[in-house]
Amino acid sequence: MMPAATRFAGRWVFAVLVVAALLAWPLFVEDQFYQRVGALVMLAALSASAWNLVGGYAGQISIGHVLFFGCGAYASLLGFTWFEWAPILGAPFGIALSLLLALVVGGPTLRLKGHYFSMATIALAELARIIVTNAPVLGGAVGVSGPAMPRSVLDLSFISPLPYYYIFGTVLAVLLLFTWWMNRSRMGFYLRAIRGQERAARSLGVPAQRYKMYAYLVSAGFTSVAGSLYAAMLGFVDPDSGFGILLSVKMVIAAALGGAGTLFGPLVGAAILVPLEEITNAMFGGGGTGITYVVYGAIIVFISRFAPGGLAEILSRFQAWRARRAG
Amino acid sequence: MPADAPLLEARDIVVAFGSFRAVDGASLTIGKGEIIGLIGPNGAGKSTFFNCLAGDRQPQSGSIHLRGHDVTRASPEEHARLGLGRSWQVPAVFDDLSVRENVMVGAFLRHPRTADAAAAAEQVIDFTGLRPIAEARSGSLGTPARKRLEIARALATEPEILLLDEALAGLTPTEVRAAIELVRRIHARGITLVIVEHVMEVILSLADRAVVFHQGKVIAQGPPREVVQDPGVIEAYLGRSLSRKARA
Repeated sequence: MMPAATRFAGRWVFAVLVVAALLAWPLFVEDQFYQRVGALVMLAALSASAWNLVGGYAGQISIGHVLFFGCGAYASLLGFTWFEWAPILGAPFGIALSLLLALVVGGPTLRLKGHYFSMATIALAELARIIVTNAPVLGGAVGVSGPAMPRSVLDLSFISPLPYYYIFGTVLAVLLLFTWWMNRSRMGFYLRAIRGQERAARSLGVPAQRYKMYAYLVSAGFTSVAGSLYAAMLGFVDPDSGFGILLSVKMVIAAALGGAGTLFGPLVGAAILVPLEEITNAMFGGGGTGITYVVYGAIIVFISRFAPGGLAEILSRFQAWRARRAG
Repeated sequence: MPADAPLLEARDIVVAFGSFRAVDGASLTIGKGEIIGLIGPNGAGKSTFFNCLAGDRQPQSGSIHLRGHDVTRASPEEHARLGLGRSWQVPAVFDDLSVRENVMVGAFLRHPRTADAAAAAEQVIDFTGLRPIAEARSGSLGTPARKRLEIARALATEPEILLLDEALAGLTPTEVRAAIELVRRIHARGITLVIVEHVMEVILSLADRAVVFHQGKVIAQGPPREVVQDPGVIEAYLGRSLSRKARA
């Protein structure tokens, strides 16, 4: 058994190596396909990590988080469509709208237990999708586009995927830092207590409703940012790519696969799922889209049957097994 | 709060499930430093009444005052802030958290900073004898440890009054003795206790005052040894014909 100090130092060395690898690998891989996949991994990790605050740490399984993603995405591109703003300038409005929606929607829905909360979030996201589809001023079923040609750097319109990779990664790093800090503070303890036993938590003085709302607000804000960045990269959003339920499901699966309620779970999950999806799509073309869903289904079954805690649980089981063997 | 005001006072509490009145006009006044034993046959309404006191259920009518504050409609978290702690009949520990982290959740109520909460939790862990299992995941604990952890967690909120809902049920005689000893030490710290218990031995050896529930009402209260001799109480437990035999 390693002494605690060595293990601690080892952990830091490992962390530094991982961060260095994440920063440097695109410089060695020149194929833009893989660089683009890398950027999409960061984006998926960002939204899954945002979801993780509510769904993982607080244990409130939202399957309608795309509501906030769509707000961010549409705010970016509508800002351009209406006022010719650089898409990213719409992001603050997307955040503001998401926070407002989270406040209004979260008040009643966060009181619901378990599946009822999940269903309410699905309903609200679908409602948003239908409203947007039927509102010509919001682009209707066709959707809205960003600038066809970049006018300045502010448009965040790059040919290479690399800038996106680093932008998404930076926002993700901010979110993970917040999550790391939160998990060590009162808020993290309170959220995990709420996830465990809400009634018991309240009897210990945990204002459950308020803390769930805090988590929901932060989560909605970051999800909205993810949406805005996505729209800036793609330069196009329609009701399905902005408010489609599949996006919500992807956030849940990425987090659940890596380990919901763990710091790096969503990143690990995204790093597995996104390449899988992109590569099957590239291999099978349009017909591969169906295969992606089959894989998702298989992953859901696998996680819920064998490892509800995701890969993080498998890892900790392995560590426990190794520790037992080492005696 | 005035010096002579009761710590916790419930007046004419009524809780009805449909047409069934689980608690039917029960009143109870608890002074600082008392140990109250709440007893009664199954279905007498003690647990429902207990949950009203703890703020987990709101009575249809009646009033509850905690340290002079009207808490009849207050949330459980408000009760905790005002200095009321509780345990659960079925232990409700946070399974994914370690024993230490469970206690810290309670400690955060009075110590918002993590380091302070951790320090406060350490003291409670020592006081309740949980030191050997402080690192264990609480989901892996057996019933006696869970019950002890529940008490520790509630103590970490630094309560003035602690409500224990069958905290000793399902324990072996040795464990019961250990638990009684813990309750005594808690009381010695100046914490008022309300205990719901089936094990009469516990009430007899711990409580200053036994309060007997029957059909939603308080039918007797007083020193435990006198209360268990009360014909009305015997009748409530054993039924009318048997109680006549018991008296004969």
